[in-house]
Amino acid sequence: MVKKIPIGPYHPVLEEPEFFELHVEGERVVGIDITIGWSHRGIELLSEHKTWDQVPFLVERVCGICSCSHPFAYVKAVEDCAGIEVPLRAQYIRLIVAELERLHSHLLWTGLAGHFIGYNTVFMWAWKYREPVLDILEAVTGNRNHYAMLRVGGVRRDLPESEVPMVLERLDELEKNNELLTKAIVDDPVIHARTKGVGVFDRKMCRLYGALGPTARAGGYDVDARRDHPIDAYDKVDFDVILCENGDVFDKAVVRQLENFEAIKIIRQCLKQMEPGEIATEVHEIPPGEGLGIYEAPRGEVLHYIRSDGGNMPLRHKIRAPSFNNILTNEVSVVGETVADAGLITAAVDPCYSCTERVGIVDRGDGGRWVASEGDLIRMSQERTEKIRKELQGNRRNG
Amino acid sequence: MEREEVKKRLTERFGDKIRIAEKSPARVYVYAENDIWVDLASYLFNELDARFDTGASVDDRDGVEVMFFMPFDREHYYVTIKTFAKKPNPTLDSISNVIPGAKWIEREIFEMYEVDFRNHPDLRPLLRADTRPADFYPGKRECKNELESARSREDGRERADEVAGKPPKGENP
Repeated sequence: MVKKIPIGPYHPVLEEPEFFELHVEGERVVGIDITIGWSHRGIELLSEHKTWDQVPFLVERVCGICSCSHPFAYVKAVEDCAGIEVPLRAQYIRLIVAELERLHSHLLWTGLAGHFIGYNTVFMWAWKYREPVLDILEAVTGNRNHYAMLRVGGVRRDLPESEVPMVLERLDELEKNNELLTKAIVDDPVIHARTKGVGVFDRKMCRLYGALGPTARAGGYDVDARRDHPIDAYDKVDFDVILCENGDVFDKAVVRQLENFEAIKIIRQCLKQMEPGEIATEVHEIPPGEGLGIYEAPRGEVLHYIRSDGGNMPLRHKIRAPSFNNILTNEVSVVGETVADAGLITAAVDPCYSCTERVGIVDRGDGGRWVASEGDLIRMSQERTEKIRKELQGNRRNG
Repeated sequence: MEREEVKKRLTERFGDKIRIAEKSPARVYVYAENDIWVDLASYLFNELDARFDTGASVDDRDGVEVMFFMPFDREHYYVTIKTFAKKPNPTLDSISNVIPGAKWIEREIFEMYEVDFRNHPDLRPLLRADTRPADFYPGKRECKNELESARSREDGRERADEVAGKPPKGENP
């Protein structure tokens, strides 16, 4: 008998509401219906009523975690439209803030994933290591989030030279800690048992569904806008694109952890290569035309499209966040898995979805319905981890 | 595949049904007629190995300009394919049966701009609240104008909310 289990639209751990209706037979998911739009704020329309210079403040509120990525893609779209050259120092400052954002976003996800599977030690470690990254962002931009650093033509504030030694010192510490955390995740047999082969989304499906970021790279789909469509100083720094091949939850975690090392590498190069100079070009008007801005955010490629009629605000502003493509991949990756894994798989694409959750279970057979507390789904997931842990301990004792 | 080769192949295949414009080495725009829309997207995706990224649309008074972004990542450039769906009933064939990743963006364009994508597997509105009237398409020039004129009246915001189908203040839908 097929039952339907709604997950959402509000969820306790993540940031934005989504609604997944799971169709299950026993423990197995046989279908899924996804509904988005629960916090549609009309930001594209709002943007068309703001001046070119006001829009970055608006679009950094598309997502708190990606509050550098959206302004980055937006300013690149406007600069593409108007043919604006950005001073080299500003290009490096943009990269530093963007890569710091990648670090804190990936560590945040790793912590949440640990919590999801009942591994709260990982949660505590990852969030502890994330804290110095936010300290650096505060020292460099003045804010832990919503940095308000980017503007059309450059950046708003210079990077204080006095903060550079502190930044380098914190990065050294973070590199060591990230190595420790990565080893703990990669070598842990319980995490292997809990995440390997779960929620597989392979290369072929990634291409068909337009998967982006770590979701795509975990499945071996080699896309990274930083290398493929380099903006600003990305063609002046050396970094590797991390690829795995299985496309399961484990590989998605590994890609993010290894990308942290690359982000640290990029920031160090920027700090080394940047020289004193201008931090912004004066922009007087945006001519009629259109522009496309593409930036590789922590979750995947962000795309902003703008059209100008020569006025002081955009005629049209289209925003595509990576979760828009990645959440759709759940149509495939959740089907065939167990209910206990569904929450983990939907979270593995690092979607933006939200802060409280209701779980209602509808029995189509007798029409009965019950609404459980938000903790039920996480509890099921954590119980499963505990069961695996005990089994593994038992095997070790017997073997 | 290199830019010049892509342009050559597209011209050979579609002839005068398309017009190609280059804004910069990283941006190629292909303007296509409605009847080859799916063939063009399919040819770029399946034969020339472009990646499907996403789509966008712009209300252009007489119709809706629909565009899809299809980058060639290894060669570092974006091909944007564009077509024009004429009002009063803008209609296009859906590419979702060729590229499943286009499902949601076509649903979004439908609900924002009233573009009817023929043969779409599931053309339900994607984002809007249940309280919004079915015939209100927020991206359309006519609806935007209606909202603006409602805002400029004395009863201002309440009237604008009514046009957009929002519940009265303090009332939980």
